[in-house]
Amino acid sequence: MTTALHDSPSVPAPNTSLRHARRSRGQAILSGGITTVIGAVGVVVGLSTIFGQPRHLRIGWLLPLVGVVIDLDPLGGFFIAATGAVSIAVGIYAVGYAQREHWARFPLVVLPLFVAAMLCVPAAGSVTTFLLAWELMAAASLVLVLSEHHRAEVRSAGIFYAVMTQLGFAAILLALVVLSAAGGGDAFATIASHLGDISPGTRTAVFLLTLMGFGSKAGLLPLHAWLPRAHPEAPSPVSALMSAAMVNMGIYGIIRIDMQILGPGPHWWGLTLMIFGAVSAVFGVLQASVATDLKRLLAYSTTENMGLITLALGAAALLSSYGVQNVSAMAMTAALLLILSHASFKTLAFLGAGSVLAATGLRDLDKLGGLARRMPGTTVMFGIAALGASGLPLGAGFVGEWLLLQSLIHSPHDNNTMLALMMPLSVGAVALTTGLGIAAMVKAFGVGFLARPRSAAAAAAREAPASMLAGMTLAAAACAVFAVAPVLLSPILRQVLATLPSVGGVEAGPALGTYLRLPGMAGSISPGLIAAALVVAVLLALGLSRWGARHRPDAVQAPLWACGADSLSPKMQYTATSFAEPLQRVFDNVLQPDTDVEITHFAESQYLVEKVTYRTLMTDPVEHRLYNPVVRAVTTWAQWVRRAHPGSVHLYLTYGAMGLLIVLVIAR
Amino acid sequence: MSWIGKIGRVGRIVEPAEAAPDATVAPPTGVTGSLQLRHVDAGSCNGCELEIGGTFSPVYDAERFGARIVASPRHADGLITTGVVTRNMHQPLLNTLNSVPEPRVVIAVGDCACNGGSFARGYGVVGSVADVIPVDVQVPGCPPTPQQIITALRTVTGR
Repeated sequence: MTTALHDSPSVPAPNTSLRHARRSRGQAILSGGITTVIGAVGVVVGLSTIFGQPRHLRIGWLLPLVGVVIDLDPLGGFFIAATGAVSIAVGIYAVGYAQREHWARFPLVVLPLFVAAMLCVPAAGSVTTFLLAWELMAAASLVLVLSEHHRAEVRSAGIFYAVMTQLGFAAILLALVVLSAAGGGDAFATIASHLGDISPGTRTAVFLLTLMGFGSKAGLLPLHAWLPRAHPEAPSPVSALMSAAMVNMGIYGIIRIDMQILGPGPHWWGLTLMIFGAVSAVFGVLQASVATDLKRLLAYSTTENMGLITLALGAAALLSSYGVQNVSAMAMTAALLLILSHASFKTLAFLGAGSVLAATGLRDLDKLGGLARRMPGTTVMFGIAALGASGLPLGAGFVGEWLLLQSLIHSPHDNNTMLALMMPLSVGAVALTTGLGIAAMVKAFGVGFLARPRSAAAAAAREAPASMLAGMTLAAAACAVFAVAPVLLSPILRQVLATLPSVGGVEAGPALGTYLRLPGMAGSISPGLIAAALVVAVLLALGLSRWGARHRPDAVQAPLWACGADSLSPKMQYTATSFAEPLQRVFDNVLQPDTDVEITHFAESQYLVEKVTYRTLMTDPVEHRLYNPVVRAVTTWAQWVRRAHPGSVHLYLTYGAMGLLIVLVIAR
Repeated sequence: MSWIGKIGRVGRIVEPAEAAPDATVAPPTGVTGSLQLRHVDAGSCNGCELEIGGTFSPVYDAERFGARIVASPRHADGLITTGVVTRNMHQPLLNTLNSVPEPRVVIAVGDCACNGGSFARGYGVVGSVADVIPVDVQVPGCPPTPQQIITALRTVTGR
């Protein structure tokens, strides 16, 4: 907008554009500031709920007939605090991002609204309030996804997201309406107290419907398809909010409805959750490891992490249904830790990707590179996020994944075929996920930020402004805390676990002190001491090498060794595609890439090659196989229905009259 | 366990090495018995390569005198070059030499490397190695025998 004013000679350029810039700056600060304040309020309310008394609030006038019911308990407080913390970082970041990307006024207004709606979801104490907040959150996020609606890809992603989120909402609506009808009330507390009245058939229906609805919001397979479409096309602060906070609401719904209110369920509930989780985790990380679009990679990584969390939830439910409460508490603690760590590192990763996008206009890893010199701050931040996402020690995701693996390994399975079969298989799935996750994150960081720039846009990158760096620093600090000092989270997790009696809440969970100890089991680890030992070892090695080099002559600059050639070109570097090629080859049957090699010979001889063209297209096989037939069927059906809309006013009036008659006959 | 005793009874059965030749240049690293070389074929017919291969084979084993062939000039103390310097390999030879840290040695192996041999004054030839870069040791012969190459290497390694 500003550039248009600059270019137009008829407008008195400097004065107007300056005023305009000042105004857009003020708007950005206002919007980001309000988002930050709302987030801070969320953190305070969440923490005070976790450590204080449960609070009940009813606002009768806000919604006709039933009113709005707010019920705050430690489980809701946990999600409110996590969402609030993400919003603080994103709000600060958005101040710089909105100015740099010249956001229109509409997304600036909707951003704080979206955060507020998300905070209301875990606070809701009744079905109506929950559904209202849920729909507000979905609508606000859709508006934000569409903020760059002048691009065709954004519009297509928006339609995809809108359809999937509304279908998910329909499933949740149906489930909760059935539940409140069977439970004899609108409030969650009433339903929980009338649990005995609900028949097993109703419970099963509610479980399946909520799993579908909440699973689609959490991005679980096969309802994940909106994630890799909407996340890359949404503005990056919005992607961060959606990927780090909004998908958690799907997990929240599963925990609240299926585990707290309806739990403990039969064995197959936990088993279903575990299978969906494991498949989502492995498929998500596979797609992430071959993705070349940075934000698409992060979106698939979200599917992977939500899969791991669901796997942990399923393990907790399954173990609890067999009466192994202490290990169940461990799996649940792992799930809660994974939710927090994923929120922190995914916020940071999307904000880092946003800085890259704002500086270069590129998301394609094959064209990036060389950012470590040009954007050192952003590079360090993204490095911290990538370390967290790869689940290695000193990364934010490590403690949660370690606990999850320990709970899977330590589950007793004497004479229990189900546990004896499921737990080792799950260990395999988690191990494969973690290994491929490291490959994906090494690719994102190594190809995207290190080496030399692969395009002119990457070579011209500039460091992000201070407010964007400040937002990222906050998220990085959270990552560091989760990585080395999980002891700080111990009291929070204990309070939350106590509200979940159906998944080992009666037992003491694992002790997260300086050493992480497992109650009654062998195995302990201390991430803080590992970090300290690493720092000491690095300092010692640096000191020794300095001392050893004190007599050496000064270093000289030598030309780069290029195997005898004059220079290396950036084209000789690994690209994201070539880095992932071996993986793509190994998992050919699952990924089903569309590759095409075209060789052109010289006219003189077929032994001389003039040109080789290699083209590869990675599509999502699930989307391809499952969604396309559905979309085709719906289109055919819609074309058929369309014949009833010929554009004749007389016919439409007849429809109206007939409709009225039918209503009158039925309502007689 | 009889094989351990057998090793002890038999002892070393290699032929004794000849007396060390006089040194031509001091070892570039200042340490005797350690010479890391990068090989450059500047335009050879591959005869000299075969003999260099034989030189470092178990039969002749030049490594017992402290000379080694390494993969990168960054790891090397010098170059061992063969063949006349052709136009195509002129610049790569200079690039490789400049990538070897100083102080360094250059050993030219074979008649072509020393004086152009039968390819001297060819249309694609720049000249002998010494015409292009400073050479410290020359090993004549078409091709030189592994024994001659070992003798030349020993004048640098000091063993």
